[in-house]
Amino acid sequence: MLEARSPLGTAAHFDLPGITLREAAGFTLTQLAGEEKALKKACGKLPAFGKADVQEAATSFRIAPSQVWVVGAAPGKLAGLHVTPLSSGRTRIALEGARARALLAACAAVDFALESFAPGQVAMTGFHHTPVLIHCTGEDTFHIYAMRSFAHSVWGWLVDAAQGL
Amino acid sequence: MTSFRRLSQGGRIDRGRPLNFTFNGGKRQGFAGDTLASALLAANDIVVGRSFKYHRPRGVMGAGLEEPNALFTTGKGGTEEPNAIGPALELRDGLAARSQNAWPSPRFDLMAVNSLASPLFASGFYYKTFIGPFQKSWMFYEPFIRRAAGLGKTSYAADDVRHETRNAFCDVLVVGAGPAGLAAALAAARSGVSVVLAEQDFELGGQLLSGADAALEAWRAETVAALQAAENVRLLPRAVVQGIYDGNHAIISVGGTALESLRARSIIYAAGAVERPLVFENNDRPGVMLASALRSLANRFALVPSQRAVLLTNNDSAYEAAFDLAAHGVAVTVADLRREISGALMSRAAGQGIVVFPESGIAEVIAKPDVRAVKLSGRHAVTIECDVLGMSGGWSPLVHLTAHGGIKPRYDEAIAAFVPGAFASGHFAAGACNGVFGSRAAIASGDAAARAALGHLGRAKLPAAATLPEGEDLAYAITPVWNATQGSKGKAFVDFQNDVTAKDVAQAHDEGYSNIEHLKRYTTLGMGTDQGKTSNINALAIMAGLRGVGIGDVGTTTFRPPFTPLTVGAIAGRSVGHHFRPTRRSPLHDWHQKNGATFIEAGLWKRAWYYDWAGKTPQEAYVKEMELVRHNVGLSDVSTLGKIDVQGRDAGEFLNRVYVNGFAKLPVGKARYGVMLNDDGLVLDDGTTSRISETQYYLTTTTAQAGEVMSWLEFLAQCHWPELDVHLASLTDEWGGMSLAGPKAREALALALPGVDLSNEGLPYMGVKDITFEGVPVRLLRLSFSGELGYEIHCPANYTEALWEHLLKAAAPLGIKPYGLESLASLRIEKGHVAGLELDHRNSLDDLGLGKMASATKPFVGDVLRQREDMMAPERWSLVGLELLEAGKTLRGGSILFAANDEIKGHGRGYITSVTWSVELQRFIALGLYQGGLKHEGEEIICAFPLKNEQVKARIVSPMFIDSKGTRLHA
Amino acid sequence: MRIPCPHCGERDVNEFRYGGDATKQRPAHGDKDFQTWNAYVFEFDNPKGPHEEFWQHTLGCRQWFRLKRNTATNQILGGGQ
Repeated sequence: MLEARSPLGTAAHFDLPGITLREAAGFTLTQLAGEEKALKKACGKLPAFGKADVQEAATSFRIAPSQVWVVGAAPGKLAGLHVTPLSSGRTRIALEGARARALLAACAAVDFALESFAPGQVAMTGFHHTPVLIHCTGEDTFHIYAMRSFAHSVWGWLVDAAQGL
Repeated sequence: MTSFRRLSQGGRIDRGRPLNFTFNGGKRQGFAGDTLASALLAANDIVVGRSFKYHRPRGVMGAGLEEPNALFTTGKGGTEEPNAIGPALELRDGLAARSQNAWPSPRFDLMAVNSLASPLFASGFYYKTFIGPFQKSWMFYEPFIRRAAGLGKTSYAADDVRHETRNAFCDVLVVGAGPAGLAAALAAARSGVSVVLAEQDFELGGQLLSGADAALEAWRAETVAALQAAENVRLLPRAVVQGIYDGNHAIISVGGTALESLRARSIIYAAGAVERPLVFENNDRPGVMLASALRSLANRFALVPSQRAVLLTNNDSAYEAAFDLAAHGVAVTVADLRREISGALMSRAAGQGIVVFPESGIAEVIAKPDVRAVKLSGRHAVTIECDVLGMSGGWSPLVHLTAHGGIKPRYDEAIAAFVPGAFASGHFAAGACNGVFGSRAAIASGDAAARAALGHLGRAKLPAAATLPEGEDLAYAITPVWNATQGSKGKAFVDFQNDVTAKDVAQAHDEGYSNIEHLKRYTTLGMGTDQGKTSNINALAIMAGLRGVGIGDVGTTTFRPPFTPLTVGAIAGRSVGHHFRPTRRSPLHDWHQKNGATFIEAGLWKRAWYYDWAGKTPQEAYVKEMELVRHNVGLSDVSTLGKIDVQGRDAGEFLNRVYVNGFAKLPVGKARYGVMLNDDGLVLDDGTTSRISETQYYLTTTTAQAGEVMSWLEFLAQCHWPELDVHLASLTDEWGGMSLAGPKAREALALALPGVDLSNEGLPYMGVKDITFEGVPVRLLRLSFSGELGYEIHCPANYTEALWEHLLKAAAPLGIKPYGLESLASLRIEKGHVAGLELDHRNSLDDLGLGKMASATKPFVGDVLRQREDMMAPERWSLVGLELLEAGKTLRGGSILFAANDEIKGHGRGYITSVTWSVELQRFIALGLYQGGLKHEGEEIICAFPLKNEQVKARIVSPMFIDSKGTRLHA
Repeated sequence: MRIPCPHCGERDVNEFRYGGDATKQRPAHGDKDFQTWNAYVFEFDNPKGPHEEFWQHTLGCRQWFRLKRNTATNQILGGGQ
């Protein structure tokens, strides 16, 4: 079998008081595109902008009016939808810790305070000139999805910023 | 002579915490709570530097950021920073400070010879060395001036300090923690909104820190405590708001090591005001200071002049300094320029033993170099021995931030000052910043501004107005006197930092440079690191007088960020070194690194340039790699190509519209080379697009244009053709790709993918086949960029490295090796393919020899404007091939082309776009654009490269240097 | 400057790509008239004041939308659809 290599390669991990960064690799990401009706039918419900729909088998993000990202098992019935697998195209970085929000604030001009960015919320913005999707998975925990080719750059930027907090 | 004594009690210094520092290498001591300036004055370092042009000895003049003279260099090597402002620099243990622009020392400066040449350094000196009869003289003067004039020098060592950046959000930003700012922050905080209070000083209180009023101090302490306890308030001392930008965006430098980008929903400007000096001869002598500085030194730093102070004023505020100094036992004399002085003021002065001379100015400052005595002018021509001369020309609101958005301040006659002209929505001003002088009035003003801000934020319930501390503010009662010079003996300074005198302003007016913008640039007034904080208003008022117009008519110059000097390092933050730009990596990056590749930057990407198996230099290696591909088989990484997933019922129609050639009828399993034009008819990009199913295409673009093309296609699909059912997704990062090329390519692929039908029938030229290999989807495209038998192999990026390694291993018996970007690019030149160097958005399809691709049966983007007369002209520069005719020479990209008999001058008839050594023809070849193109096939021309003074002979040939029949492609 | 993306919310201007005047009607695909295309591609007003224009949120949802902005003050006057 051909061996898979994640975007950040061998176990990327970084620790500081209040910050832990690691690559949370090994996920399946599928982009579904189509009319709202078709998306709703396939996904059961259409996630609202800025809010993740978290189910047991999959988490969904509404990334554009006619596009949904599904992390995990893609829905079975895909009638009327255009499917694009993206599992290799993104790195997923898990960030957690008491200073995680301060790190995000050092990287992007979005209000990441708990009141404004609570568990379940999703923000699409840019880190260091590259697009990222940030999913708040808990009070102190986040998933950051960045483009594969930028993975090392984004990782390096986060690690560097963490050291300046 | 000027000297100060430290009081044994009082002030805001902590006598229990002495701090050691050095000045010009000499040991000094101060206290916690001192600034560098106060500590130096306490040590009687009165002369602390030399002025910019004339090298006149200078001392501390002001009490804060407005200070023009007392600038210092601190730190060493990687931490060295010039132009630190003495009265604003918090003293810390171990500080090493040096004076600037003086050698060997400020007291004895050899460079003061400039003073002798001073008539030459008048207005417009620099300007005049560039024009008229003296226009070459700048080159003569420049080396001397550069050595002698200047402020701090900066170190060439790498910056040792990390500069952080961060983003923040709040409801109300209050700029300045003086009485107005504190009141505003408190009122806002009490309503529950999020507040940020930024203050440049290390203590909160502004003017209140320099006062002696018990009720005001109690109010200050109480308010600060309340703000510290409030959870919704973020206090930022040591923070300078450097600029206000569109969208209520404030850039704040915090503590010298962080830059905060704060977005506020409303802003209250409470930045206060600075005192103006008065303009009279020798007003720059050490010991001549702002009256407010003397007051601050006395009340905040417990430093008073040893014997006597004389104060020169045109308004009531200087009397606060008089009263406070007298209360500490200093003998005080006031020379008041006004005729009418308030009776209450006079009797209070008399009660404290202060002598007041109305209608009096300064005739002479007797100094050696620091102040010894002053001689008054006017009705009482007395000479008074004194330690210091304080001056108050009035107060100038710090309107800078309110004007960053382009709203010019307006002149308020009543207070003889410029105040904010208007406010953007959500912006408010309070206190002295808004022309409201007096601490209690400022508190009321800040309180009101907060309520206005809360109203703007939509708060329904506003807090009640605050109660003011007991007592009364002094009146202001200014009678503006902009120019108090007496005669022509000695210099009367307007801009202390840039050494501009009243005479310079008059000279500029005489020579016609009387517009405020001309005055500034002709005299350099207001162009120093202090940006004219103590000089601008005096200067424009003097000019108004000379022109006989109102001050408001002269106006101010433009206020621009930053408010105080900011290092480039602070602005760069962490975008330094390899973090300056992001780097993009191919999924094969690590493999290239481990296997002898040298990388090159291609836009943001790092690509394998050449491999060390082929040679030690790029010139050597690319030729070896080309030979490998022409004679054997090689494997190259093409993962950086733009790849776009195009799906939908109308996918074919969409591609038909954007490409010049047809794609709607492309059979499933086939690929086609396509070219796209811009709306203006010029070539945008090229690529190979394959049909995967009835409703799905796989579109590729060049690496460089991938982002452009994606945005363009999205623009068309979303905004202009929403009726088409088409969905686009970028696959550039999802799929990796490799190019397998050479006469043995099929053999190599067969060894790697046994069981796949790779025959000419199974996978014909320009065919596309999707397979699965060991569970991984793999797309095979029989394409050739090199002109040899070739395949592109694409697969999801997670598996690209494994597949690449598998291919190399399986085909190893054939001698397969990797080849890099240099040879990839060279092979295509030999084949005559256009690429990025030819696709520079200036060329049409016909220019590139691709005119036949344009469909005659369907409209496409750019088809109308590509037929503009100019673009169809026969003498346009179009694509040709070139062969070098001279052995031992070389062709160079960018060479200008001339016909054999042309004079080698000017733009010529074309230029070379791409060059390579041809392994087939064993000579240098090139692609280029030439006037009339292949009409001149066979002709000998000249390629000129003026930068190296080279001219070589070449022949125009067809760009298809090899295999013009394409036999190899169809093998 | 902050730009309100209709899907992602307010973001800094550097997350966006500017797309020019949105008041011009793109000629129908297949329109063969030279003057029509010439006017559409090369002629446009450059108003000092309110301007309706296209923006794309390139670092976010990648959607194009219209925005009304005052070109002299950068005040956002209304947006997103």
